[in-house]
Amino acid sequence: MPAPAGDSASAPPLLEVRNLSVSFPMSRGLFGPKRVLQAVRGISFTVGRGRTLGLVGESGSGKTTAAMAAIRLVTPSDGQVLLEGRDLMALDERAMRAERRHLAVIFQDPYSSLNPRNRVGAIVREPLDLMGIGSPGERESRVRELFRLVGLRPDQMALFPHQFSGGQRQRIAIARALATNPALIVCDEPVSALDVAIQAQILNLLRRLQDDLGLSYLFISHDLGVVQHVCHEVAVMYLGQVVEQADRRRLFTAPAHPYTRALLESAPALDRRKSAGYRRKAAVEGDPPSPLAIPAGCAFAGRCPQAQARCRTEEPEQTVRDGHLVRCHFPLG
Amino acid sequence: MSPLLDVRDLRVEFATRHGTVTALDGVSLRLEPGETLGVVGESGCGKSITALAIMGLIPMPPGRIAGGSIRLDGEELIGAPERRLRQLRGRDIGMIFQEPMTSLNPVFRVGDQIAEAILLHQDVSRDEARTRALELLRTVGVPDPGQRIDAYPHELSGGLRQRVMIAIAISCQPRLLIADEPTTALDVTVQAQIFDLIRDIQDRLGVAVILITHDMGAIAEMADRVAVMYAGRVVEEGPADAILDSPAHPYTRGLIGCIPAIDPALAALDRLPPLAEIPGVVPPLHLLGQGCAFADRCIEAVDICRKVAPPLTGRGHAVACHLHAAAAASEES
Repeated sequence: MPAPAGDSASAPPLLEVRNLSVSFPMSRGLFGPKRVLQAVRGISFTVGRGRTLGLVGESGSGKTTAAMAAIRLVTPSDGQVLLEGRDLMALDERAMRAERRHLAVIFQDPYSSLNPRNRVGAIVREPLDLMGIGSPGERESRVRELFRLVGLRPDQMALFPHQFSGGQRQRIAIARALATNPALIVCDEPVSALDVAIQAQILNLLRRLQDDLGLSYLFISHDLGVVQHVCHEVAVMYLGQVVEQADRRRLFTAPAHPYTRALLESAPALDRRKSAGYRRKAAVEGDPPSPLAIPAGCAFAGRCPQAQARCRTEEPEQTVRDGHLVRCHFPLG
Repeated sequence: MSPLLDVRDLRVEFATRHGTVTALDGVSLRLEPGETLGVVGESGCGKSITALAIMGLIPMPPGRIAGGSIRLDGEELIGAPERRLRQLRGRDIGMIFQEPMTSLNPVFRVGDQIAEAILLHQDVSRDEARTRALELLRTVGVPDPGQRIDAYPHELSGGLRQRVMIAIAISCQPRLLIADEPTTALDVTVQAQIFDLIRDIQDRLGVAVILITHDMGAIAEMADRVAVMYAGRVVEEGPADAILDSPAHPYTRGLIGCIPAIDPALAALDRLPPLAEIPGVVPPLHLLGQGCAFADRCIEAVDICRKVAPPLTGRGHAVACHLHAAAAASEES
């Protein structure tokens, strides 16, 4: 089944992921049974050119694994990934390496994602070195240009990562991601480690770069406020599945899955005041179940305030109406 | 009514390789019985140091209380003997920290850790302490408390571990509960559960709470009054509604403006406006000059802001800003 499309053009979307699954065999201990961790269970999505798809979910939902599998940094156990129509899973190592210049990643923690012993100019230049793009002189001027693009000064190129603040380090990581002029950047919680004032600077920068360079983002986040701010489409993940996917407007104004609603209700908001007697309505109980022991029926049933008997025995199929995907027996009206 | 906690002009210094830095520079806070004070600010603003100082847990050296007073129910805590502080901590002042895995002892069963806190401060038998521990686990909403009382911390989820921490913190019915980023390490649905639990406990026990957070949404939901901190000073203090609806300090306005708030009206727009930004970063403490610490990032700053640190003025809703003081004065005349 095709996932809700980001753009309506007839050209293939930039990235199309079909029925992607990732599982990891777990060590069985000395005599224990063989166990498999099903991190991603048959998800499909597309990312349009110049668009941002948000992957939202809590820890263990499989959002990072799904994104990494979509760019073949993790090997999927099943499914298909098409980059501008080219099947990434069918490529040999060498051909995949050539595709890497179109793909980049920005990680959560700019303290551990930059090599502390390298000068930041060299860090940003490294993808160009590795891919053999341009002459040394061209690479140098490209790095200068990248520094300006992300709001750093070219004279800072000779410094080391520890001489920068967290927000500046994330700018360096963004400059490195942009080096090969990629079409798609996977942003893995890119602002979660930053203070809110710095977070705003980085989010505005990512949006400006998207406008100026026509970038597409696969944006992983647990923070719905951030997602609302940067994403055009949103896929909500729970225990390795997409339980709801829609454009931003519909997801935030008319969420159909009880889990999405619970996420929206759980996030602290400025207008939910203690002074006005605010108490949460739909608190979700308990913790997400382990991906090692996925329950029968709907994975969310054990915590769902609306769950009925059927939810605990029968796994809901996904339904798509007007591009709004929901996986629930009793979607909210 | 005399306040439960009265912190006046607290100064805390640390010896660093850059010389002596002032981590808290004249912090004053008041807390009435049963009230929740939210202390909000970015990393390094001094909010956690304030909490540690109240609990008498500033490491000395390198730290030093350089001045001021901390009174709990009229009793001066600065200079009080360690024996007395140990009595107060855990009995009159309960504490919850960010990471429940590191604040629980991994080699003891959680029931024993709760019982230990009770035995330390109350004259009860081991059996009574265990019975109390069981009651407490029930109070904090741990499912199957009879089983979980014998669990080790690693056998519990992050949310349950934080509930155990809360059980320990309230085991001796404290008058003051200090919660330092209690939900930062937790998923959003679990964070909501913990906030709900803290409010329930507050309703039941009438305990006053100091909530230290970087999250203005958490402030809205939890706090009666708010102190906004920046670079070791309280820059604005007042009722939560006043701070959130009519922030007077440019820093507070910036902090609220840069939050990517969940808002269906915004989500429905084709294109969201960029987030407000506070330019620059928090200055390192050893580079603070004479004037207002925020002046370099403040778009409204004038000459005096760079020369003289503004005092916190105003009753009820207090602000440390020259511009605000001038505006208030001209309104009065």
